[in-house]
Amino acid sequence: MPLETSTTYPLTKLRLDGRRWNEMRVFQAQISTNPASSGSSYLAMGNTSIMCSVHGPAEGRRGEASGSAGSGGAVVDVDVNVAGFAGIDRKRRAGGSDRQSTNISTILRSAFQSHLHTYLYPHSTISIHVSVLSSDGSLLAAAINACTLALVDAGIPMPGLLCGCTAGMTGSASTPKDPREDELDPLMDLSLPEEQELPYLTIGTTTMVPVGQNNMDEDEEDGETKVAVLNMDSKVHYTYLDSLVPVAIDGCREIRELMEGVIRGSQRM
Amino acid sequence: MSNPRQASSASQTPHLSPAELSYLYTSLSLPKGPIRPDGRSPTQFRPLTAETDILPGTNGSARIGFADGTQAIVGVKAEVEKTVLASDILQQDVENDLQAPSDRRDGAESTPSAAAGGHGSWVQMSIEIPGFRDDDALPVFLSEMMRESLVGSVTDAGKGRDTEMAGGLKGRLVINKRWHWRLYIDVLLLSQPLSYPLPLLSLTTHLALLSTKLPKLKSQGEEDPFFDDDWGVAEHLYPRPSPSASATSSQIRPPVTLLVISVGDNVIFDPNREEISVADAVLAISITRNSEGQGLKLLSIRTIDPPSRLTQPGVPNSENLSTMAATGNSDNAAAANPSAGQEEVPGVWRPRRGGIKRSVITELTRTVLKKGGVGEEVLEGLEGVEV
Repeated sequence: MPLETSTTYPLTKLRLDGRRWNEMRVFQAQISTNPASSGSSYLAMGNTSIMCSVHGPAEGRRGEASGSAGSGGAVVDVDVNVAGFAGIDRKRRAGGSDRQSTNISTILRSAFQSHLHTYLYPHSTISIHVSVLSSDGSLLAAAINACTLALVDAGIPMPGLLCGCTAGMTGSASTPKDPREDELDPLMDLSLPEEQELPYLTIGTTTMVPVGQNNMDEDEEDGETKVAVLNMDSKVHYTYLDSLVPVAIDGCREIRELMEGVIRGSQRM
Repeated sequence: MSNPRQASSASQTPHLSPAELSYLYTSLSLPKGPIRPDGRSPTQFRPLTAETDILPGTNGSARIGFADGTQAIVGVKAEVEKTVLASDILQQDVENDLQAPSDRRDGAESTPSAAAGGHGSWVQMSIEIPGFRDDDALPVFLSEMMRESLVGSVTDAGKGRDTEMAGGLKGRLVINKRWHWRLYIDVLLLSQPLSYPLPLLSLTTHLALLSTKLPKLKSQGEEDPFFDDDWGVAEHLYPRPSPSASATSSQIRPPVTLLVISVGDNVIFDPNREEISVADAVLAISITRNSEGQGLKLLSIRTIDPPSRLTQPGVPNSENLSTMAATGNSDNAAAANPSAGQEEVPGVWRPRRGGIKRSVITELTRTVLKKGGVGEEVLEGLEGVEV
């Protein structure tokens, strides 16, 4: 019998890598790693590590500038490249991109296109290049975080940090949730073996800087949290969403604090 | 990524006017030593930072960043693969024998050489450059250029010590007659190539290969391979010298490919993009340490199409239609086609034509290989990196 979180968790209340349900992996990040770009970052969540560089806002290619979004504001262009050595087995890709990286780049593009204050830079392109150096689950969430850090480093205005985190269930969760004997727990920040085995979703949240009337509210210390990205590729019964979403949002809050620390720490230098 | 893709194997030509090119050429070809735009001496390399073993998921990895911000990451992954039967690769055997008349491993004389001496196709290299597809000319050409020197470097010191490296890298990949390692070297250039990226990629690959470890083999002889679980006892692909013998023998290291250009009579190393655009000749020279640990060995030379061939020529005043009226020199037939003018006018840029003189190649290789020369300096610098 293979060792899996779904079999070991009910017995030990510990996941395969020894974490509890609400523990994140080690989070490490740096910004301004590459002086040749406008902004860059390195981010590692557990064994997932990503380098991200931002170029621009700069004048886009002629073909794009005349496009539909050209006059309205900056166009966000995302390029995701999963290195051949990123996974366990070396992957051979024909022609340059596979389904996974295209998928991630589409989500990132739509997320940051609407998140950034692109109207400040008409007729320009912000190009984001994401290189996945090692992939061990939560790839989309880590890519969102790395992009945010690189965009902050590039000084591109945005309403708040966009942070991503994953959450999953400790079982297939394909039948309606039974409120009396519920043995399934939600999990925060999934690793690759867990992702392949369990249903999970990725959430990206952002905080709105309090303006106007809300400016006076002092009860909420970090403004209002909004979900900006929600992506789910696997199947789960809808009754479990109640427990999945709050866990992912909690993870995003933790990551936001860590990322704020990274940004503040780098300014001191 | 706004740079237009070039079909040429040389990197993108910067947009310099003929006057700028001529100025650059003149200052680089000064007989008393070139004046480079960034103030370096002709043999000086750009400062770089290097680190190894950065990716936990690979057998070996390295990152090098130049001060101008170009960075490369190399990850090496190894897989066990079944060696194809001898009859299927008879054809390759012949080629293999031709290109590598290497020492066979002990007792392997009677077997086909692919099973004993290894095969070049076991090393695969792919280069990822932003803005280029991986089947574009530049990545393919670069990876083949680096791979051939890696595979071709065979030490002749199989007798006595270092029997593990007897067949070079190819020989090291042999597990037994039926199994071998397949090595995937993936190179990731993290930024737009600001200059021809060959030296950066070659140095990074060198360090990554040095840090590469293969699991320790537990099975013996012709058994199906079976490895030790303990990564702590894994063996380096390029074996470290034993502490007892370190006084006499230095470690065998992968080869390094250097980029050298000649401008006029000067030889310039590690050119940046502007310098390479006025070069008369661009050579990629692969070197490695001699088996005795002293002196250098030349592995390969490749000429690279210099981008100066694609530049626009300057028009001398004597042939310029717009100034001709002023000079009154109107009966010049060459004026219609400035590139047809044959004579060199000082201070007017003229794209380089024709091949490389033999004496130039001699001079280039001599500068690399001579004792205390650039090659030695680079290898010493790399040996200083803690792997």
